[in-house]
Amino acid sequence: MTLNNLKIEAEKAIDKASDLKALNDVFKQYLGKKGELTQILRSLEKLPKAKRVKVGKQANELKKFFEEKIKEKKSSFAEAPEDKEEWIDVTAPGRRPVLGHLHPLTLVKRKAEEIFENMGFSVVEGPEMETEWYNFDALNIPKDHPARDLWDTLYLKNGLLLRAHTSPVQIRYVEKNNPPLRIIVPGRVFRYEATDASHEVNFYQIEGLMVGRDISAANFKAIIQEFFRRFFGKPVDIRVRPSYFPFVEPGFEVDMKGEKGWLEMMGAGMVHPNVLKNAGLIPKNWQGFAFGMGMDRLAMMKYKINDIRLFYSGDLRFLKQF
Amino acid sequence: MIFSYNWLKDYIKGRVPEPKKLAETLTMHSFEVGEVKKTRGDFVLDIDVLPNRAMDCFSHLGIAREISAIADLKFREPFSEIREDKKLKTKDFISVEVRDKNACPRYTARVLTDVKVGISPKWLQERLRICGLRPINNIVDIANYVMLETGQPLHAFDGEKLEGRKIIVRFAKNRERIVTLDEQKFDLEPSILVIADAKRPVAIAGIKGGKMPEIDKKTKVIVLESANFDPLVIRQGSKKLNLKTDASLRFEHGLDPNLTEFAIDRTAQLIQKIAKGQPAQGLVDIYPKKVYPKKIKLSLDYLESLLGIKIPHQTIKNILQRLGFRMIDFRNRSLVVEVPTRRLDISLPEDIIEEVGRIYGYEKIPAVFPTAVLIPPKRNDEMFWENITKNILKEVGFTEAYNYSFIGEKEAQIFKYQNRDLIELENPVSVEQKYLRPSLLPNLLKNLEKNFRNFPEIKIFELGKVFKAPESEKKVLTGIMIGEVFYQAKGIIDLLLNKLGISNIWYDEYRTKAEEKEISWWHPKKSAEIKINHERIGFLGEISPRILNGLQIKPKVIYFDIFFEKLAKLTSEEHEYRPISKFPAAVRDMAVLVPRLVRVEEVLNKIEMAGGKLIRDVDLFDMYEGEELPEGKKNLAFHIIYQAEDRTLKSKEVDETHQKIIKTLEKDPTWQVRR
Repeated sequence: MTLNNLKIEAEKAIDKASDLKALNDVFKQYLGKKGELTQILRSLEKLPKAKRVKVGKQANELKKFFEEKIKEKKSSFAEAPEDKEEWIDVTAPGRRPVLGHLHPLTLVKRKAEEIFENMGFSVVEGPEMETEWYNFDALNIPKDHPARDLWDTLYLKNGLLLRAHTSPVQIRYVEKNNPPLRIIVPGRVFRYEATDASHEVNFYQIEGLMVGRDISAANFKAIIQEFFRRFFGKPVDIRVRPSYFPFVEPGFEVDMKGEKGWLEMMGAGMVHPNVLKNAGLIPKNWQGFAFGMGMDRLAMMKYKINDIRLFYSGDLRFLKQF
Repeated sequence: MIFSYNWLKDYIKGRVPEPKKLAETLTMHSFEVGEVKKTRGDFVLDIDVLPNRAMDCFSHLGIAREISAIADLKFREPFSEIREDKKLKTKDFISVEVRDKNACPRYTARVLTDVKVGISPKWLQERLRICGLRPINNIVDIANYVMLETGQPLHAFDGEKLEGRKIIVRFAKNRERIVTLDEQKFDLEPSILVIADAKRPVAIAGIKGGKMPEIDKKTKVIVLESANFDPLVIRQGSKKLNLKTDASLRFEHGLDPNLTEFAIDRTAQLIQKIAKGQPAQGLVDIYPKKVYPKKIKLSLDYLESLLGIKIPHQTIKNILQRLGFRMIDFRNRSLVVEVPTRRLDISLPEDIIEEVGRIYGYEKIPAVFPTAVLIPPKRNDEMFWENITKNILKEVGFTEAYNYSFIGEKEAQIFKYQNRDLIELENPVSVEQKYLRPSLLPNLLKNLEKNFRNFPEIKIFELGKVFKAPESEKKVLTGIMIGEVFYQAKGIIDLLLNKLGISNIWYDEYRTKAEEKEISWWHPKKSAEIKINHERIGFLGEISPRILNGLQIKPKVIYFDIFFEKLAKLTSEEHEYRPISKFPAAVRDMAVLVPRLVRVEEVLNKIEMAGGKLIRDVDLFDMYEGEELPEGKKNLAFHIIYQAEDRTLKSKEVDETHQKIIKTLEKDPTWQVRR
């Protein structure tokens, strides 16, 4: 039999082998001790040198070829029979690495910061203990304003008070930085408040301030619409209606359309000229908008939380959900 | 505040929007309207009048004026002319003396004779009821009606009961008392303004009338009061007496002094019509400093620039006129308006811009992104590192808590905080919130106590402000873990600081000073100071059993407490790759038996000194004290990693170095390398 015929025949046999046993038989038939190819290889020494070299080369190549073929075929059979005993119950639960959890207000704060930073706002902080000047006077809140009563503001025995809003940072920042400017101020604020599901004695605000030569209410609308759209990840319906805060004029309230009607989201307005003056600017040269919103409120909406007190409860059954 | 839809309609010519629609319109242009309720042929609107508009809009006329401006309808002022009785002169009946012109900028009085006190007509009773007032008699009802109509509180006295036919506006004297219309007794004091006759107070000015000169069925002569009082005086008086009334509410917010005259005439007119009274001639009017309308100049360019929208001139003019502003000049892109005196809220061009903007409609302002110079936001470094810190702690299994910024007396005592270090609140909401927190630990430990039942393994942290007298405020990072986990906590701090780019970390035993022994909340022998470049940046240790007992916490608790602001300044983003050695490392283990109190650091130092350059790293993998060991000894087991940068170490070389280390360690006879 010529090597060529042998090749054709053996290839056919390998292809036909339907299981490991059949494949072994094929192996034996050609490559085993008494296999056909083995015999050819053995008989080589009897050949004259010139022929020996030529046939030997061919035969060895053929041997390699068969070995490859058989290996290939072997791996095409699904599994070794002993593997059939082993299995994995894929429905059993996975084992999770133990990670910790960030507070939902941290998550909301980060999200808000990221959105505003992308719009060119710098993130700024300020002290939680404030003076009456920064918390009230500089913000155009007169001495006899009801908000200054003991019943709204938490006063300290060292003569300071706990800031009732993040707005004092507006003044502190503008004193040290020249416009044009764009900042947001996240932070903890305090109110004299009986706690219930929607009121806390400390909570979080995000204050915003943009001042330039010609910053307008139209600009405010664009920025704030973009913020809510990105924060909630979908187009939102907002409306701006009149409101009153001593440190802005005109003053706005911003509502967002929810499932059950309009929800108050933030107080805002065009920075009052007295505030610009108190921060050391010449009001006729500068104008801009300011806004303040409750971060707890944003978090409550985002995660559908119905009780603000959960944020400050330290309850791990709550905190581990974030 | 409650308003009647039908009543509002009285003052507007033309088609007023339907109640629901009206509520929406007012919300978008003036004030938020809550519920709209249908009642007996009318609708009730609950309007949340903004505090700066109380002076003109705590009244049906005020709201009607808003509606006329928004809906572009004609406003119809009510009739207030009266037919006076020429034979009687008001000033012959009554004399008025105002002792404090600042507390009472204006006092007007009128007298009506021959009144017939009785019940009010149905329509009048109905309107009062809709607005939540109880009808009493026609005189009182008319006064209340005019208050709801104009916003000016009025009061009627029985003229014949006023001693000396005198009205004196003065502050109360010490120990003076008054019994009010509803039979409440009040002790007065000199900060409370009263209306008195020749003998005694007959009313608490601007708040409530007295019982004595009350209108009754027999009343024939009425003295009407329509006055203006200082808002602060009324607010403080009302607070002091803990007495709030419809009148005090209006005075507290301030009223236009020019309103008193219109309101008193309107009242007299209605009394004449309904209760048959005869108004005496003239008005007693104490008004030393008349208030005149302000004029404000406004540039239309500024208006457009601030609102970001162009509004037609004619529209601007129309809006302002409907609101009662008088156009004095209007040309060349600027206008001068005269502001009605009832608009105490308006004094700047920006105030006028608000009026135009809101009536025109904020919804018409387009959303336009600002064209601003491209200045990239500045990174807030402290927050940047705060975020990284929180992330790392989260990754190693810590959960973040936010606690109250306060502690109570109880915690202050358990932790033995010195009173002089604490900042106390002037007006705490509760006793648990008496002081600002001097540390994050007390509240974190309370969290632990609360959660222990549900979670046997607790790792929590907080990053927040702590406070110390007189006025320091610092950001700290504090965490706690349960169990015998000092070294885990130490490892976490090492990891955290490394990830923050800090390498020169040092731990020193915290030597509790004698005077601290009593008050320390850390375990005196299980606490370390965390140092970076010799600067102390915080503490790590075990909470003292005394504190844990006080808070009823059973397991051991390890804490760390780091001054975050200091830490944030030491961080670094620089990080350099160290080439991987081409030559293999050889690892040999070594176990050393040393006296219990020998510090690991001492052993490590000796190993490193003796091993020299060939040592790549030494790693303590076990520390053991126990029964099998000789008394007072502990076993330390190390992996020592040998590696050279320029060659493959020969086994002989490693052995020699290893032997050298053993010899060095055993120079101390109490140390023994176990073989």
